[in-house]
Amino acid sequence: MTDSPELRDPADSGPRAVRPGLRPVLAGLGLTELGKVYGRTPAQFAAEAVRLAVADAGLTLANVDGLLTSSGVTGGVSLDLQRELGLTDLRLLTHMQAYGSTAGSMVTYASLAVQSGMASVVACVFADSPLRPERGSGAIYGTRHAGSGWWGLLGASGVIGANPMYALAARRHMERYGTTSEQLGHIAVAQRAWAALNPAAQMREPITLADHQASRWIAEPFHLLDCCLVSNGGIAVLVTSAERAASMAQPPVHVLGWAQCHPGRYLRRNPDFGLVTGAATAGPAALAMAGVGVGDVDVAQLYDCYTFTVLVTLEDYGFCPKGEGGPFAASGVLGPGGKLMLNTGGGQLSGYYMWGMTPLSEAIIQARGHGGDRQSALHDIVLVSGNGGVLDHHATLVLGGPAAGP
Amino acid sequence: MTVGPVDRDQATAEFFDAAADGRFVLRRCPDGHHSEPAGAQCTTCGSTQLAWVPAAGGASLVSWAVVWSKPESGSEQVATVLVIGELDEGPWWWSRLEEADPARLAVGLRLKIAFRDGGAEAVPVFELAG
Ligand SMILES: [Zn+2]
Repeated sequence: MTDSPELRDPADSGPRAVRPGLRPVLAGLGLTELGKVYGRTPAQFAAEAVRLAVADAGLTLANVDGLLTSSGVTGGVSLDLQRELGLTDLRLLTHMQAYGSTAGSMVTYASLAVQSGMASVVACVFADSPLRPERGSGAIYGTRHAGSGWWGLLGASGVIGANPMYALAARRHMERYGTTSEQLGHIAVAQRAWAALNPAAQMREPITLADHQASRWIAEPFHLLDCCLVSNGGIAVLVTSAERAASMAQPPVHVLGWAQCHPGRYLRRNPDFGLVTGAATAGPAALAMAGVGVGDVDVAQLYDCYTFTVLVTLEDYGFCPKGEGGPFAASGVLGPGGKLMLNTGGGQLSGYYMWGMTPLSEAIIQARGHGGDRQSALHDIVLVSGNGGVLDHHATLVLGGPAAGP
Repeated sequence: MTVGPVDRDQATAEFFDAAADGRFVLRRCPDGHHSEPAGAQCTTCGSTQLAWVPAAGGASLVSWAVVWSKPESGSEQVATVLVIGELDEGPWWWSRLEEADPARLAVGLRLKIAFRDGGAEAVPVFELAG
């Protein structure tokens, strides 16, 4: 039953504020080499990322008592990672999959575990290794469905992969609100300008709106420069309590709010398709949990598998009214020097594509004040989105810089 | 333009049986709500008492995407129009729209279901109505 929200108990409609006592904090961040890095398996990237996150926090693997693993399109990361890292007597161990919302969800569950005292230092990791020297990136996410059943039927009629599905969503937004390809292009251009300031970004050569418009069609209305990169690598974060983090190596990044929304209408009649996503529910709920409003957000890291995903999430979070994401993106607010600090590492479009770990990792860097040439002057409240499926899974995190503890 | 191939499984057997006869079937509950063919319960009321019923075959265009083949030296890029059609009974269906000029597409454009030979099974596609 998908159309009966009135049956839900409104008293349980959102998360409660973080309870006093054990306050969750992101205390470690580990990024492997990212991009065209060949010859390593996802499991190897994952193990390296966790080791780097542990070292970043000034800890050793013996301090880790919780592990949440996740993997991308090539799989390969599993509970075996515990053994690989020599982690014994863990108090929390789970493999998770909510597609692009997984990273935000992992931090949420790790925070809940820390709050409850179930675990004290939880590593959350994502790794993927889809790029091979001889294979084009387009082939990776455009793989045909298995040749039987409903999925086979979808593939048989040509509806294959993420590009056309998101293109259908974007076209619906364009037809309803007048959104244009040029407006989407402003997002791509701004993020490339940010990537130029990020040494870890894969694509750092500046682009113009004309470059965006001239790039080849992938699935109209998407040009090549509307679409994210594909990357190899791994990223891990450590969640612990503020009390524990006080003696660790990095400035604490507080986890102030979280919420998810999974609309559940994939391949179903959906009046909201392409117009409103789970971000419209999860964003306000996470901000309310943190006790702030969208106007208090200093830095936003929004999942950007496509330029359109950023645009619709800006609307859903309330940075601009519904339907005005296009004019908003084209108004000059984006990019270095703009007033909205958005996807400051270049995002998935120009930085690196590590699913939800892309916005999360840059959020941690900004919240700490470690962004170097691209650092936002204000970084007390950092909003992070995760998006999976075809706008089907959403996770929001509200992070606080060292000065913003509850 | 070719479709398929696709093989049936237990969940799709009745659908492909109907498709072989040129009928596009939906699920309908005792209260008369129509659901997408892949649904195991009514998307309106949750009933699991679903019958297969033929759709009239008419639909309206909800959205579209024009997918271009990868450019290769010496060959023209080929455009495939993929659409969401809202069947007149209510459910949506995702497939290709054949023989349509991408420049002339608009929300609400009238479509109809047609079938193509997908090897082992018939595959429904959309065509422009009228
Ligand atoms: Zn019903």
